[in-house]
Amino acid sequence: MNRRSFALTLGVIAALTAACSGTTGSGRVTFNAYAAGPESIAIKGTYAFDNRQGFHVALTRAHLQVGGLFLSRVRPISTVRETACVTPGSYVAQVTNGLLVDLLDPAPQLFPGVGEGVIDHGLTGEVWLTGVRIDEDNDPTVIFDVAGIATKGADAFPFEGALTISQNRIVAPQDAALPGANPLCQQRIVTPIDTDVVPADGGSLTVRIDPAGIFQSVDFSQLVPGTGDAPLYRFLDKNEGQPDLNVMNGLRSRDAVYTFSFEGPH
Amino acid sequence: MILFFARRSARLCAPLSPSVVATLLVAFATITVEATARAQSADAGVEEPVSPPLVLEHVDPTYPSDAPSDPAHPSDVGLTVIIDAEGVVTDVQVFQSATAPFDDAAIAAVRKWTFTPAHRGDRAIKSKIRVAVHFTPPAPPAVAAPPVPEPAPVPTPPPAAAPAAKPASTATATVEGAADAVVDTAPAESESDTVHVVGRSTPPSRGASDFNLRVGDLSRVPRKNAAELLKLAPGILLTNEGGEGHAQQVFLRGFDAREGQDIEFSVDGVPINESGNLHANGYADTNFIIPELVTALRVVEGPFDPRQGNYAVAGSADYQLGLTKRGLTAKYTIGSFGTQRLLLTWGPAALDTHTFGGAEIYKTDGFGQNRDARRASAIGQYEGRVGERGTYRITAQAYTADYHSAGLLREDDYLAGRKGFYDTYDAAQGGQASRFSIAAAIETRAGKTTFQQQLFLIQRGMRVKENFTGYLLDVQEPTQQLHTQRGDLIDRDLSTTTIGGRGFARTRFTFLDLVQETEIGYYARYDATDAQQTRIQASNGAPYHLDVDLASKLADLGVYMDANLRPVKWVNLRGGVRADLFSFDVLNRCAATDVRKPSPLNPPGDASCLSQQDLGRYREPTQRQSTASMAVMPRAALLVGPFYDLQLSASYGHGVRSVDPTYVYQDVATPFASVDAYDLGAIYSRTLLGAALTARTVFFQTHVDKDLVFSETAGRNTLANGTTRTGWLAAARFTGAWFDESANVTFVRSTFDDTGLLVPYVPDAVVRSDTAVFANLPWSVGGDPLRGALSAGVTFVGRRALPYGERSTTIFTVDSSATVSWRGVEIGLEATNLLDRRYRLGEYNFTSDWQGQSQSSQPTVVPMRHFAAGAPRAVFATFALTWEGA
Repeated sequence: MNRRSFALTLGVIAALTAACSGTTGSGRVTFNAYAAGPESIAIKGTYAFDNRQGFHVALTRAHLQVGGLFLSRVRPISTVRETACVTPGSYVAQVTNGLLVDLLDPAPQLFPGVGEGVIDHGLTGEVWLTGVRIDEDNDPTVIFDVAGIATKGADAFPFEGALTISQNRIVAPQDAALPGANPLCQQRIVTPIDTDVVPADGGSLTVRIDPAGIFQSVDFSQLVPGTGDAPLYRFLDKNEGQPDLNVMNGLRSRDAVYTFSFEGPH
Repeated sequence: MILFFARRSARLCAPLSPSVVATLLVAFATITVEATARAQSADAGVEEPVSPPLVLEHVDPTYPSDAPSDPAHPSDVGLTVIIDAEGVVTDVQVFQSATAPFDDAAIAAVRKWTFTPAHRGDRAIKSKIRVAVHFTPPAPPAVAAPPVPEPAPVPTPPPAAAPAAKPASTATATVEGAADAVVDTAPAESESDTVHVVGRSTPPSRGASDFNLRVGDLSRVPRKNAAELLKLAPGILLTNEGGEGHAQQVFLRGFDAREGQDIEFSVDGVPINESGNLHANGYADTNFIIPELVTALRVVEGPFDPRQGNYAVAGSADYQLGLTKRGLTAKYTIGSFGTQRLLLTWGPAALDTHTFGGAEIYKTDGFGQNRDARRASAIGQYEGRVGERGTYRITAQAYTADYHSAGLLREDDYLAGRKGFYDTYDAAQGGQASRFSIAAAIETRAGKTTFQQQLFLIQRGMRVKENFTGYLLDVQEPTQQLHTQRGDLIDRDLSTTTIGGRGFARTRFTFLDLVQETEIGYYARYDATDAQQTRIQASNGAPYHLDVDLASKLADLGVYMDANLRPVKWVNLRGGVRADLFSFDVLNRCAATDVRKPSPLNPPGDASCLSQQDLGRYREPTQRQSTASMAVMPRAALLVGPFYDLQLSASYGHGVRSVDPTYVYQDVATPFASVDAYDLGAIYSRTLLGAALTARTVFFQTHVDKDLVFSETAGRNTLANGTTRTGWLAAARFTGAWFDESANVTFVRSTFDDTGLLVPYVPDAVVRSDTAVFANLPWSVGGDPLRGALSAGVTFVGRRALPYGERSTTIFTVDSSATVSWRGVEIGLEATNLLDRRYRLGEYNFTSDWQGQSQSSQPTVVPMRHFAAGAPRAVFATFALTWEGA
């Protein structure tokens, strides 16, 4: 190779290297997603706690249907939330396939499929409680299936509940000019959950769900007793009554129930 | 590029050989001026008038005694003749054989011709011309017929004036790189031996980024549309996810010019970019151009010429129309995916290449799903003379198309087997397009001043339906009735009437004993545009939301001054300044789309365009916005040389792109996007092994203060931050008697100014090669040889930067064709994507939700990879018949 050819080759290589290097920033990632009950559960299948109403609650069954997990880069600046349940452009991670989570199991339970995201700060977490697509009108899926016993002094309230989020949770609009102000999807999405995680490729996103938070405001004494020899109290599947309303509010409680964490790849 | 129109009065004659009636016709067109002054070669542009060689003496061929003498079968021999600077024939090659006896006779005769050499300015230069020698067998003796004088052979050498006065013929010749030259050897006794160069001239070269691209034999390379001719220029990538009637998306030297927003497109000066187009301001749909009617393109990769106006950010491309294949041609193509095309072209043999008519009708089912298309196009042009040295042209054009589009596909759906590689999500995607136009241009000369005026009237209609995001953007608004996602299909409809004109006066004068030029010119256009954008419900096709409804009146009036100065013989300083005033008058017919405090007594409901303000107070739903802004754009180029066949150039230019009418606000100065471009280049031209070689290299840098980046939610490019691109390119064209090769390579790095991150989607490495070889085959039928041709177009595009730090896959395709012709019959076979590579023509990372994963899965709201599938291998057979006529 003569000098001219060498210089030309060098120039081409330099141009190629300069042109084909660099990045547009960030990155797309995939990760595994898990849900788990409280780490404090010593024995899988039982969990006891006290609530603010003075009840000691022992759960024997607690399953939660999680339809999806989402992380947003937008941190809410007020308590007034958008009407839109999905705000395109704000998300940094998603887990779109649902999982029926055993809340009395402290071990991470793997969501089917993989989570997807971009390398960016997720400042707000969302837990979608649904068995159908988020904007469907009807969802017969039992979102929260729970059983246990609550005691207060000498009183004992064995209870169970099977809650859904469907037309039974519709909130009628207060303003006739705003018929779309309360879409059902708002009832299904638990947000904003404070967090600060950055998804990484091959990592693990875990949401821990503490059922104690769900029952903090529930007055079990107001549960309606069932019929039968052994009294069994039931949560009604509607937004009425103190215990029924508050267990649903507890499900949608942001910070005391759901905690996100992300662990990088090993 | 320079147009020649030369007249001469001449009669070319010679004593007739008793056995021959040989008529030499100058039929060709291509005079390759392989000037020793290479810098003025084709691609570099021509700054001095070129006069073709003139025949001083000629010798008639002898009709070969051993040749067949069937009068029904005249024979034609095509010769390539090299004439040196002394006017001596130095080489004669056969490029079209009519069997050995005829070939030999023609060569022997033409070798004895002498010429006055071609000239560039005052300087004699070497040239190459093509000569057709036509042998007509002697007529059999007529029985009982009165004796008739034997017809004289009329060797009408090329663009030449013959010394003798005899019946002359008309011939055309094209100086390579100066297409449109017309050399007329019409009889005019008093003007014998005089060649007038009066044709249309084009601007001188602006440096190494100014490409005058003669299509020539590279027209044999398979191309689906006229846009693909752009690939003859370096750094071009074409993609199209919108369907066959949708404009091609053009990437040029690190720019994502989308459908023309950053490239000023025109056809013989008539603008193609559509101002006020809601789909893309500056949208340039070139599908109306019939590729067979394109003889050349001028592509300037940068805003370096004062004639360039709005949209010339990445550069400009001007298609030059003509029909070199004279006579009536019918061409039928049939092939893969139910594709059929019928093309008719007509160019009277007695008139030059700029008088023609052409029409095509086309249909295809398209590959994969939802890619069917139908179109029809017709273009007619007449060129006449004004006085002795002027010309005028009238051009009319009509085009309509209807098509469907597969759009984009998500890679995860393809990999999971939920979708096939060539499938679609939304079969409602597609559109319609129409364009009707008429244009008239006149060029005259008075003394040393050339005047040109052009007027055009264009009516354009367009509908585009695209869905990039599926079911994502129809979010619930509080004022709306409760609804689920209804679908994101965007339906844009547009109607535009454009009227305008352009013109210039160019004066030549001598200073410092050198020819200097100055030019003043103007450009004016007015666009009246109606545009709407609605969203379509996927379940029933009903529009559910009106996004935009605009009626725009847009005007652009630009004036420029340009100079071509030569302080010394080897330095050219070219440049000037252009100023444009853009005015915008936009009536927004859907100005009120939201109220902060709606009234319960007058709820806005689902209406898109409201007639109320807060608390229900009435307002008209329309609102007018108007503004105007001016842009001043200096441009300059310095050309030095040539020295030893090498010319150096440095260029600078400032250009602008006007904004979308949606960005117009009352009395707020229109936020132009401004570009500054810098080039350093070198052009090397010489004759190598008897073929013309032009090679160039360019280093360039371009800065745009407001770039355009694709937005999937808007379904088009939207304004972004400033960007800078730096790169290098090399290009070469090598044209010989039996081959034509064009190759180019471009590397570019495009980054955002604020972050230094790469600009997504633009290719940083593009390589393209176009090759054609052609020769007579060793077989003859009826005494006429079969002629064969092979061609190939090879494209390589490196891995493009995508958002989120990713790279696309590479593109590598090979298109090829083979043709065999005999007399006026041609059959051919074309294959596109010959290697049948499964490639992604376009790739994007953005958020979409197609509800495709499972019934219970939730919307996908983070960016995913999407792609537009490139076409699989397709094979087409072509049959063409040409009747040359008189």
